[in-house]
Amino acid sequence: MIQVINLTKTYNGKKAVDAVTFTLEKGQIFGLLGPNGAGKTTLIRMLTALTKPDSGTCTVASFDVRQNSAGLKKIMGVMPQENNLDRELTAYENLLIYGMLHRVDNLHRRIHETLGIVGLSERKDSLVSHFSGGMQRRLLLARSLMTSPRILFLDEPSIGLDPQIRRQMWDIIRKAKMDRRTVVITTHYIEEAEALCDRVAILSKGKLIALDSQDNLKAQIGEYLVEYVDGEGHLVQHICQSRSEAQTVAARCEDGVTIRKSNLEDVFIKLTGERLE
Amino acid sequence: MKKFLEWYPIYLREMLLFRRKLFKLGYLFSAMVIPVIYLIAFGLGLGRSVQMGRGNYIDFLIPGLVAMSSMSNSYSWVASSLNLNRLYFKTFQIFIQAPISPSSIMIGEVLAGMTKGLFASLLTIAAGFLTSSHFTVTPLFVATLLLNCFLFACLGIITGMISKSHEDTSTYSNFFILPMSFFSGTFFPVDKVPLSIKAIIYIMPLTHTNILIRKENLDQEGLLSLVVLLAFVVVFFVFGSQLIRRYNE
Repeated sequence: MIQVINLTKTYNGKKAVDAVTFTLEKGQIFGLLGPNGAGKTTLIRMLTALTKPDSGTCTVASFDVRQNSAGLKKIMGVMPQENNLDRELTAYENLLIYGMLHRVDNLHRRIHETLGIVGLSERKDSLVSHFSGGMQRRLLLARSLMTSPRILFLDEPSIGLDPQIRRQMWDIIRKAKMDRRTVVITTHYIEEAEALCDRVAILSKGKLIALDSQDNLKAQIGEYLVEYVDGEGHLVQHICQSRSEAQTVAARCEDGVTIRKSNLEDVFIKLTGERLE
Repeated sequence: MKKFLEWYPIYLREMLLFRRKLFKLGYLFSAMVIPVIYLIAFGLGLGRSVQMGRGNYIDFLIPGLVAMSSMSNSYSWVASSLNLNRLYFKTFQIFIQAPISPSSIMIGEVLAGMTKGLFASLLTIAAGFLTSSHFTVTPLFVATLLLNCFLFACLGIITGMISKSHEDTSTYSNFFILPMSFFSGTFFPVDKVPLSIKAIIYIMPLTHTNILIRKENLDQEGLLSLVVLLAFVVVFFVFGSQLIRRYNE
């Protein structure tokens, strides 16, 4: 569905995306995980024809993004990280304009459907400027779904949302996968990547550090973690390949030791030496 | 929606936003204030002591004020809103990521700019009818007005696309729009200015709008101005479309 080869973008001499290469199969939820400034948004912008790469190739659903972005634009939906709704238009008007630009059939029915999906039907005639931040994020998601796209690009979809709304949004994204849509999602929330993604790419300083299924990534570093706080108040972690190894390590440690399964943040820290923020 | 109507959603969006601003006092005031100030200061004040050949000064001034008003409103509304939509609100991304051509984006934005420019011009025309009994609106006047709105809306797109900040749009306005307002025949006939300055004045598109808008019929001089204006329109439209085509974040 997506093939990216050596994609590179430089801003002011600094490589925002540095020779990134990956492929993505149809119908997967693919996560781009990394801290702020890792290059996730730049990568999404190149995949969605908003930013021209300096070098490398990028093919989405057999459309070369550089050569035939018009074809790509017909089959993709984009939810940007920045809120680019028209705040002085109503929710309905925002979707109306978007639907007209994309020539959506049965437009009025489709607007009502998508507003229903994100639970905003009763606020369709309210100005977006009167919406809470969470409602605006939901409307952005609704807009990206308006065209029933084959591929959905979601840039930090749940940023700034409270946990309840975040989980509602995850359900909608899972539903998109059940409808055989391919979803590319950027996030710096471990919980989000773990809840949604079939495969995860870890980005740091513009480079692709690792790419695999969550289980394989965790297996690379060890499935269990032994943690305790030492006498000087520092958190000490030991990565172990099995539970029995973890129990052996824990037995040698001080009081207050815990054993837990490793997560994507542990993978990230192990591979990059940085923390996700 | 048919391909040749791809521009319509962009126009509709601008009009929906415009509708909400239209009846706000601030908007009406800002659209009217400059031409009305000039009409009072130059037309009803200074103009009473100025004789212009066969007619009086205010009859000369009003078509120029309509041209100036249509220029500044078509230009500034497009330049300002496009710049803000591109750099701050990021709503311009929606157009870039839609399966429509750059020229459709251009047409939609330009027609919206024209509409805003025409609205402001209508207010000036109304003021003209109230202050001058000789003021008339001919078909050539209307055609020139439309062409002028189109031309400066195209220029507004160019400014909106190349400005790197909102402050930049004001800089461009101070360099190009403000001098044109004063030196292109709005307030005084340009045929009596020194030859060296005249060459610069005749490069300015508003000069040709002012020539054409004051004619009752299309004579040789008017035809030349029409050709110049059409040439500006083509160049600005093509250049603006290219800027949109090359859009890159």
